[in-house]
Parts: sequence; structure tokens; C-alpha cells
Amino acid sequence: MLERRYNPITGEWVMISSSRQKRPNLPKDSCPICPGILELPEEYDLVSFENRFPALRKNAPEVENDNDVLIRERSQGICEVVVYTKNHNSELSQMSIKQIEKLINMWSDRTKELSSYDFIKYIFIFENKGKEVGATLPHPHGQLYAFPFLPPRIKLKMESLEKWYTEKNTCAICDIIKEENKKNKRIICETENMIALVPFYARYPYEVHIYPKRHVESIYELSNKEKKEFAYVLKIVTNKYNGLFNMPFPYMMMFFQKPFNIDKSTHFFHFHVEFISPMRGPNLIKWIASVESGTWAFINPIEPEQAAKQLREVEVDI
Amino acid sequence: MQIFSMKYDKNFFEIKENNYMLKFNIQRIPEGFILRGKIKGNPKRVELFRDDVDKVMFINNWQSWGVSKSIDIEDYTLKISEDKKSRLKYSIHIMPELFEKNIISDYFIGKKDKIYGFLTSKIAHPFFEIKDNELIAYLDFFDRKFEDYVDIEPFIYLEGKNIESLLEIYADYVKFENKPKFSKWNPIGWSSWYQYYEKLTWEEILKNLELSKGYNYEVFQIDDSWQKDIGDWVPKDGYPSLKEIANKIREYNYIPGIWLAPFSVSETSDVYKNHKDWLVKDDAGNLKVAYINWKKKIYALDTTHPEVQNYLRKIFLYMRKNGIHYFKIDFLFAGAIPGNRYEKITPIEAYNLGMQIIRKATKGDFLLGCGAPLLPSIGYVDGMRISEDTAPYYNADDINIPYQNAYYALRNVITRYFMNGKWWWNDPDCLSLRIEDTKPNEKIIEMYAYVSGILNNIIFQSDDLSKSIRKDVFFNTLELRGGNSHVKGLMNFNNFFEIEALNTKIGNIKMKVDLEKVEYSIEKDIEYPQINKRTIVREDDKRLFHYYEESDLNA
Ligand SMILES: [Zn+2]
Ligand SMILES: [Zn+2]
Repeated sequence: MLERRYNPITGEWVMISSSRQKRPNLPKDSCPICPGILELPEEYDLVSFENRFPALRKNAPEVENDNDVLIRERSQGICEVVVYTKNHNSELSQMSIKQIEKLINMWSDRTKELSSYDFIKYIFIFENKGKEVGATLPHPHGQLYAFPFLPPRIKLKMESLEKWYTEKNTCAICDIIKEENKKNKRIICETENMIALVPFYARYPYEVHIYPKRHVESIYELSNKEKKEFAYVLKIVTNKYNGLFNMPFPYMMMFFQKPFNIDKSTHFFHFHVEFISPMRGPNLIKWIASVESGTWAFINPIEPEQAAKQLREVEVDI
Repeated sequence: MQIFSMKYDKNFFEIKENNYMLKFNIQRIPEGFILRGKIKGNPKRVELFRDDVDKVMFINNWQSWGVSKSIDIEDYTLKISEDKKSRLKYSIHIMPELFEKNIISDYFIGKKDKIYGFLTSKIAHPFFEIKDNELIAYLDFFDRKFEDYVDIEPFIYLEGKNIESLLEIYADYVKFENKPKFSKWNPIGWSSWYQYYEKLTWEEILKNLELSKGYNYEVFQIDDSWQKDIGDWVPKDGYPSLKEIANKIREYNYIPGIWLAPFSVSETSDVYKNHKDWLVKDDAGNLKVAYINWKKKIYALDTTHPEVQNYLRKIFLYMRKNGIHYFKIDFLFAGAIPGNRYEKITPIEAYNLGMQIIRKATKGDFLLGCGAPLLPSIGYVDGMRISEDTAPYYNADDINIPYQNAYYALRNVITRYFMNGKWWWNDPDCLSLRIEDTKPNEKIIEMYAYVSGILNNIIFQSDDLSKSIRKDVFFNTLELRGGNSHVKGLMNFNNFFEIEALNTKIGNIKMKVDLEKVEYSIEKDIEYPQINKRTIVREDDKRLFHYYEESDLNA
């Protein structure tokens, strides 16, 4: 079954995606996205392809919505696997700056192409890295979801940024960047055009955000200079993560850009990246439990300023 | 119930006037507010809004060829000779007498930090008048009587940092309101007009088709000249049948395109001779002249007349059947002149009816509007001329009634940049890239082309291809397209603009352009690894695979 269902109690859409298709049998330890194994028969540099078991599909089956309480809709969207390199034993932190630069161009091009479909309202680019966040495939890759609706946290971001703009006529993230620059307590890495910091309002212990200093609404508006610095900052942040407890650091990397094809102003949306990790110390995990799941309220056991200091002090050599 | 003695019902306040009833409410948006309402009765001209003016205001004329620019309201005069007035007629304004005697801005008006505008023009003509240091927003319903409530054109007020970002936001709200579905394809092609004008021959068409290889045009469009008369849309002597014309163009793998002025009828045409009842009349029952061109009086078709509707439908269906799939429809304002029609509706409603018929008959084909009222055309056209005609000369003089001049054309290409990609594809008019048989120097030729490219406009070339041509400028221009563009400098009088385009085919680009000094500079982005995409459809499950690899074409 592939459909989405509406929860009128929270206003959210839930994607139901149960596949009866069997996963292809692969020999143990072989990687489905290495060249010549399963998904990608030829040699390649970078590739983004439609997921074999997607939660959203361009040609999703029509659904019959015959009830105005229990509302269902077609799961029309696109889910892609975004492969960063053909080198199985690499990862974002190990890749060359040039490879990351190419990757940024691929992310931009995916965004531009997918946003041209009128049914796509939101394009979410992300990476789950490490067993602790459920990533089972070690080959360097991320994913993207092109949604036919605005997911709840995106709606919330839009509402908050809109409210800020309505009241102050400015962008909240632009204002935050100015303020963080003055305080300089939470910045962990900064270039002329990019800033990486543990946000004042971090929800997770070692949460890191990357903001372009110029107000851009989507990844494809970044200039080449900004993209170069973005590549550099991504490499620094992921290396600092690995150096923090001297272990491969699990994380979720999430890109937030403006919604597309909606009949509302989006110019106050400022493109940004959030990194979160369940790690709160060496071999210590912060579990997401009732408070966070039930109320969406977070308790952070580590002062963001302390986390920033620790990350700042991790020396990386790139 | 009543609030402050006004009737209040279902979120609407109600006002009773002698000749009409109006319901309205105000919706808050992040950048200002939107006023919506409903009206019935015989409202004629309704005042909606009033505010102070600034000394410098940004004004806009109702149709393609009219001016968008900033003016000093203390130093604004219209110089139109009587002769010109009698020829231009409604092309200068839907209400020419009002326009001649006042400072009028149609659809929207701007200050350095505010925009006042209307979101639609479906029934009424929305405009602003500057009078006694006030700006007043009006909706003109002409003499239409409404038995039941109809929606008024929503009014929007926007406040922000600068006029340019506000115009972009205004364009967004107009888009949200009209939800236009226009072609995703932003065409590239050839047109005959700015080389051959009405002297085009079939032999010259064949010659240029043969010479066109290597330009990678997508459309080959025959302009004004091929037809028997204005209103008689069949090939004149010396031309083969439409089918043969289209087939010939097809042989070169181009989409066959043609020019026509569907709402216009000349005094020498067969349509005029046989169907005077099809034309718009004044109160005394005399035919109304919409404009004078081709040294002929041109009348306007009454698009509310069932026979006219049939005639329009047949023209386009016939052309399509014969293989024409790109239509430049010109002098469209003729469909919106005030006057008496078969049905007692407003000229804007009549225009809508006419455009609906054309859009339906050409479904899937590309429609380029020209000489067209802007707001009423949204949703009907895929492309839109947003400037006066270009010309083989460039005169940086400034009168407020434009004439064919590359300088005026280019200025509007910049000042109306914000409509592009949101309402339609902007047509900057054709690029003439020949360096013989023309007055503009090569600097002007480059400047015109590169501005059109960086603003991601439609690119059509109009040259006799056997002449010396700056082919490099054509291809450079195409490379500049594909980005999102922003302009700065609309409130200045010095005609100096800064244009920024994000994510063009060659990265982010900045351009500075001085229209008076005829100077420009282009700043390209720094080197960055470029990648090429190759998309493959997997046989068994139809999944798409997008392979990217570094391109070394980035020379
Ligand atoms: Zn692998
Ligand atoms: Zn911002």
C-alpha cells in the first residue's frame, strides 16, 4: 500500500508505505550501490536515483477518498538515493573538497529539477549516518524526499519565520547570525560567507547548524564562492564530529530550504543545515522518548556553549 | 449585525451607496494587506483606496508597449501630437482622455518602499490616479450593471525595504491569485519582422531557413506581411498555403510560428466589408476606430458576438490543423476597447472571452501576447511582450509616450523584469545582431542581448542571415539564461541598473548596465567544478537514474 493519511488531531500527513515486493538477494557484505553490483551497473562519479522502496512515488496509485473524517490522499512525490562517490570506504569527512563541491552542484540540480514539478511542495535533502541513526549501508550516500505537502516541522518553520518577518521586517536567521557574531560563544567554524555553530536553542547535545550569511532561500541560489565555502565547512564539521570522541560519529544531516509551488510568500525563508546526533558522550546516547515524541518539547542535557567549546577545540587537519 | 453602523456578515463589512452595494474585508499578509470584496448595482468608477504620494513614483501603463518607470510627479508631462493621438487611440490607454490629462498608473504604482496594486483584472479596469498629492486607487466597471454580487479585483498594499523586492513579491501575489498555467518551455527562435517588416517574401523565408542551420532555433516565426489583410488571415499572393509554409519550416525541425492580430479588422478587409455587425460601436451606433496602422483604420472585433467567437475559433483551429504551433498574437488591446457590444459586459470581460477562445483553440501550443493589456492576459498567454517595439536605432531621449526605439524597449525589459517566469515568459522583443544595415553600434547590440539573456527572457533573433552577424552574441546570450534574476535601480532617473542572476547556465552573474552612456559590464562567478547530467530510465521498473560527472566543457 502506498498512500498518505491525514491526522486531524495534529494536522499532519502520515505516509503509509508497505511493500510486498521482496528485497533482492545479495551476497553477504556486498554493497547494492557500488558500481557493477545491483543498482548501478556502470562506473560512475555521482548519481541520484529513485528509491526502490519509496514512501512517495511520481506515479503513485490513485486513492479513493470517500470519507471526510478519515481522509486519504495519493502519495505522489519522489524519493531518491543520493550517492556521493563510487568509493565505498569513504564518507563526507574523508571526501576531497572537490568531490563535495560536485555533490553540492548535484544537490542544487536535483532541487531545481524536482521543484519544476507542480505537485512537489517541499524538497528535503538529508543523510543518516551510522547504525545509531538506523543507517545500515556504509557506502557514502544521502537521500532526498520531494513531498507533495509541507511536513509539520517545515510548516512550523514557515510560520515562525513569517511571524518574525511580519513583526520585524527582517529574517530571523539573518538576525541570529548578527547576534551570534557579536557574542562569538557558540561559533565552531566560520568563513567569509558561511557560519557553523551550536545554536543557542540546540535541541540535541552536539547539534550544529550551518547558515549562509547572505539571505538565500534555496541551495541553488548559492554563489560559487559560497558553495566552495559550504563544501569546506561541511568537511570541517563532519571531521570535528569524528574527532569529538575519537569514533565515527553518527549524525543526521538535514537541509532546509524554502517550499516550492505553494500559493504563499516564501522570501523570508533562509536556507540552512541542521546536524543532529544522538550522542551525548562517548558511548552515551540521548534517547528520544515520551517528552520529545509526545510533545515535541526537547530537553538538552548539555549547555550549547559547552558543546560549542568542545567542538571548537577538536583540531582537524583537512 | 452592525459594527460602527456598517452591516457585518460572514467576515464582510457592507457599504450602501446610491448606485451600488459593496462588501469588503481586509486580510493581513506578512508584507501588508489584501482588500477583497464583492459589488452589485451600477458602480461605474469606484474609489477603493487613497494615500499620500512621494515626489518620485514608479508608474506602469496598461499594455505591452506602455512604459514602466519612475517619474518625478512635479515634472511629468505627456507630449502627444494631435496626429499621433488620432493614430494611437486606445493603444496608449483604455481611457485615452483620462490618460492624456492626468498622471495615471495602471494595475500598480510604487514608492521606494511601498507597492499599491491590484491582483487581477477580470471584470474591471484597475488603475491609480495621482491628484493633489494623493494617489487614488480606482476600479472602473464602465457601464456594467450587476444584479448579483461579483468579486471585485483584490487590492494589495505592500511595504518593505525596496521597490524591487516589493515588485517581486507583488508578482508572486498576482501569481497566487491567477494561478496561470503557462508553458514550462522558454523558447528560442527567429522572426522576420525587424529585418523585413511588411516586405517579407516567400523567397526570403526559404533563403533564411537554409541559412539558419547552426543557430539551433526552436521556432521559426513569420511576422506581419504574409496575410491578405488585417482580419483576412489567409496567405496573400506570392505565398504558398499555410500547410505548405508549415511543412517547409518543419523540414528544418523548427516549430512553425506565425503572427496575427486576431481582434483587429482593417477598413479594407473582407471581414469589414461583410460583417460590420461584428465590430465594436459607440453609443450612437458608429463603428469605433481602435487605432490606425498600415495607413488604415483598424476596428475591433466584438468578442461577445457568437459569430465572432466562431470566427476566432475557426482561425486558430485552421492554423493549427495546418501545422502552425506558435502564435504571436498582436494588437490585443483592440479586444478591450470600451464601447457597445452584443452583450452588455465590460471591455475587460469581453477581452477575457476572446482570450479564452484563443487559448482553448490553441491548447498545448505557445501563445505570445503583444500589444496586450497585462493583468487581463495572465493565464492565457505563455509569453508576453513587455516593451515597445525595438528598432534599428537607439535614441536615449525621454518622452512619456514611447515609439519604436531600442532604448525604450530595453528599459522596459529591465523595469518589468519581475513579471518573468511568474506570469509568463517575458519577451524582450527580437535581438537584431547584424552589424550592417542597422544603426546601433556593437556595444548596443551586445548590451540589449545580454540584458535579455541574464533576465532569462524569450530569445528571438530577427536578421537577414546572409548579412554579417554577431553570432557569438547570440550564443553568449543563451548561456546567460536559466537563472533567477533581480534588478536594482528602478527608482533612479539615471537609467543605471544592476542585475544579478542566480544559477544561470554559467553560474551566478552580475551585470551593470548604463542605458544612457551605453556601457555595461558582466562579472562572472569564480571557477567551480561543473557537472553534466545524464538521465537513464531503468527498463524493468521505470525508475530514473541521474548520473552526474564533471564536465571539462567549462571553457
Ligand atoms: Zn558500496
Ligand atoms: Zn535571512
